[in-house]
Amino acid sequence: MSSTEQIATTDIAPVQKARKKRPFGFYLAGFWVALILFLAVFGDFLPGPQWDESFYDSLGVAPFHQSHILGTTLDGYDMYSGLVHGARLSVFVALVAVIVGGAIGTVIGVASAYFRGKIDVVITMAFNIMLSIPNLVLSLALISVLAYSDENNPASTTRRVGVLMLSLTIVIIPILGRIARGATLQWSSREFVLASKSMGTTNFTIIRKHILPNVAPAILAIGFLAIGSVIIVEGSLAVLGIGVPGGGSWGSMLANGRGNIAFSPWEVYLPAGAIALTVISCNWFGDYVRKALDQRESKI
Amino acid sequence: METIRMIFKRIVLLSTVVVIATFLLSLLMRLLPGDPAAVLVPNAPEELRALIREETGLSKGIFGYYWQWLSGMLQGDFGKYYLNGGYRPVSEVLKKCLPPSLFLILYAQIVALALSIPLGLISAYKENSRFDRITSSVLFTAVSIPAFASGIILSLIFAVQLGWVDPIGYESPFGNPVEHFKLMILPVTSLAIGLTSSYTRLLRTDVIATLKEDYVTMAASKGISNKRVLWKHVFRPSSTTLLTSAALNMGGLIGGTIIVEIIFVIPGIGYEIAYSIGARQIVAMQTLIALVSFAYVFFNSTVDLITNITDPRTRERRV
Amino acid sequence: MSSLLKIDGMSVTFATPRGNLRAVNDVTIELLQGESLGVVGESGSGKTVLSRATMGLLPGTATRTGTITYNGKVISELPKDEVRELWGTGMAMIFQDPMTALNPVRRIGSQLTESLTVRLGMDKKAAKLKAIELLKRVRIPDPESMLRKFPYQLSGGMRQRIMIAIAVSCEPELLFADEPTTALDVTVQAQVLDLITELRKESNMAMILVTHDLGVVAGHTDKIAVMYAGDVVEYAPTRQLFSNMKMPYTEALLKSIPRLETPTGSRLPVIEGRLPDPTKNEPGCPFANRCPYVQDKCRAEKPPLKDAGNNHFYRCWFPIGGEK
Repeated sequence: MSSTEQIATTDIAPVQKARKKRPFGFYLAGFWVALILFLAVFGDFLPGPQWDESFYDSLGVAPFHQSHILGTTLDGYDMYSGLVHGARLSVFVALVAVIVGGAIGTVIGVASAYFRGKIDVVITMAFNIMLSIPNLVLSLALISVLAYSDENNPASTTRRVGVLMLSLTIVIIPILGRIARGATLQWSSREFVLASKSMGTTNFTIIRKHILPNVAPAILAIGFLAIGSVIIVEGSLAVLGIGVPGGGSWGSMLANGRGNIAFSPWEVYLPAGAIALTVISCNWFGDYVRKALDQRESKI
Repeated sequence: METIRMIFKRIVLLSTVVVIATFLLSLLMRLLPGDPAAVLVPNAPEELRALIREETGLSKGIFGYYWQWLSGMLQGDFGKYYLNGGYRPVSEVLKKCLPPSLFLILYAQIVALALSIPLGLISAYKENSRFDRITSSVLFTAVSIPAFASGIILSLIFAVQLGWVDPIGYESPFGNPVEHFKLMILPVTSLAIGLTSSYTRLLRTDVIATLKEDYVTMAASKGISNKRVLWKHVFRPSSTTLLTSAALNMGGLIGGTIIVEIIFVIPGIGYEIAYSIGARQIVAMQTLIALVSFAYVFFNSTVDLITNITDPRTRERRV
Repeated sequence: MSSLLKIDGMSVTFATPRGNLRAVNDVTIELLQGESLGVVGESGSGKTVLSRATMGLLPGTATRTGTITYNGKVISELPKDEVRELWGTGMAMIFQDPMTALNPVRRIGSQLTESLTVRLGMDKKAAKLKAIELLKRVRIPDPESMLRKFPYQLSGGMRQRIMIAIAVSCEPELLFADEPTTALDVTVQAQVLDLITELRKESNMAMILVTHDLGVVAGHTDKIAVMYAGDVVEYAPTRQLFSNMKMPYTEALLKSIPRLETPTGSRLPVIEGRLPDPTKNEPGCPFANRCPYVQDKCRAEKPPLKDAGNNHFYRCWFPIGGEK
């Protein structure tokens, strides 16, 4: 009703049509994410060539070859099974980093904003310090220090993957922590929280019942974006030569393929495409959640 | 008076962040398993290692080491690369690697702003039009393509296959300007893709909000052209977030250029960081990372301060 | 005096997610040169939309039908660019909230001289002199230093004067004033209205004054259109309206004005109930649910606009004081 009264726009902003149906991209992104998750979990049980076996009779064959559907690398590794195997590692690393880092960040951020005072000052400072180092540089530094078992010998692959996940987790903590802190600040001053406090509800219950449900969507939105950035950082680390060794992830497939780019460009295109599509899908979901959130906010 | 107090507070905060961050970096270096001197000079005799331990302060425990590093930094002694029995001062390396990085960042920023300002304004003005939807989806896709992928693919297409430019290398703009710009095209493009996307989206959101303001209707009711309304009345108040984030990126980009510098072999600061990490030159690495994070924090607070002082709206809120 | 503005059968609808919202319904109004019309109604009655639609300042979701004739020329079918030629120089608008209607990041001077340089083609120097003169006309002390200030440095009353100065800077023939005093302190309201009336008289400017306050229009308009749920429900010369009120709704509006003589603590009569849903088209008089005199016929059939003579029109089956 009053919306007609407060029309403040002009012909300066013409043609606004309300779009209702769920966009096509939603299904596309959903399909891709589902496919990647499926391959990550069941990929090794699917029929197909071994990912770590070199086929000496078909080095560097182009995609759509009869026995290598996506071609092989110049070293004879099958691209399709490489990608399927890589999905497992890339997705696993990203999910662990974002879920663990997000959980830690959320706890710290919510506590910091809810209890305020000195804790908040210290935690905000800590977040700022961590965010002051570009995330790629931070994970580079962490890995370069932690991924060695003694002075000059790199640690085992398992340990390096662990270190990789650890460093990405550490990168995620302040990013999601700051979001959680901001959202909590906004919600903890709302009337229903004050009302609940005045009824003598414990802080823990208030956080669980009133704060977390409202903070969660914001975390979820940024969390999706974070999965995208973690995949990118993992790929970047691989290109810099300190990611997962031995072509086990999309990033390291791409890094290995860089040298052969003039002969078998699909070694670069395919993992790059897989990374890009996954990142696009994650960003898309993040954006979708954020938009839905904005709409809900504007209705309140 | 209030402004001075605010500046002072910022300086204190900034120094605290930088001191703690660099201290943590030192601590991290000490987490290395084994003898750090053995990491720095793997095959050197014990006497040389002892000398290096003494010189860097590694023999003095974590606080002693940090203090020696910090006071060295403040006096302009940025530490050394220890290589093949000899050494190179980091400050010398820095002198060479800063200009390429700064040019790269500067060009990428100029290109990104030059593209995103008109794109953001027009797509906000025509919100939900076909132009807006196409721009949005193209940019959305572009921002999701990692710089290493776009860099490699760009160099594959334009350098390797078409042969228009050299795939790698760097030339000083003062020695050979034509070659300088030619070599910069691909790296700048792959950096600018992501920047353009995020700037356009920021500006679009803000312009859409500004278009709903009364003063825009008011300006339109004066009978001036839509173009004038957009540029004179809408752009300025909508540009704060854009300019802030562009300025903030200056700091972040110094570190963020690593990948692009590696792919296109540009001897910039990101390249040097990656090199020092690869060669396990922990002292040099600590210095370079510290400088990058200092630049980031410095830009961050300066921009914040400037917007606080210059934007009449934030002044209004304070009053 | 000749006719300046003629609105004939104008309707405005907005496309919303809940369906089409009818904001203005088949409104016909005429305004002579130098005349002033008050458009009165609650919020949601369509009065702001009426004024913005007449000028052409509607968002893209709105559809406007009907004809608007300005100075003998039909402007409702003109392309945007030609309508815009009239803005500022022919028709100008004073906005409701001076806090939001001035650009926060531009100086007063640049906002004030913009119309002068862009629309009238004055050079910077002449525009500055004219701006100072305008600020003097709206009684702003020390106009020269005012030009260099930002809106946030001024009080609400000052900003509203600035906005009036901007609106009259190109000497328009028709001024739309959309709740020009609502956002101001009570003490400043009267001054601002008097200022507008004075400026109007000086240059024979016509005005459409949009307000929710019948008390405001009484002293500053020649005729009044009362709006309810998008309809003009009573339309009469000001004196005629106050002496021979026909509509129960107008009466209710009048009763809801707070008066200084009302003893403190006594309850202010408010109009009970709410406006009907503008996205639905229900039969009967839209005011029926809130009307103290409601009868069965009111709920069944919507009353047409009736002529009471003396240019007095109303839309009611059972008007106060009977027919005529």
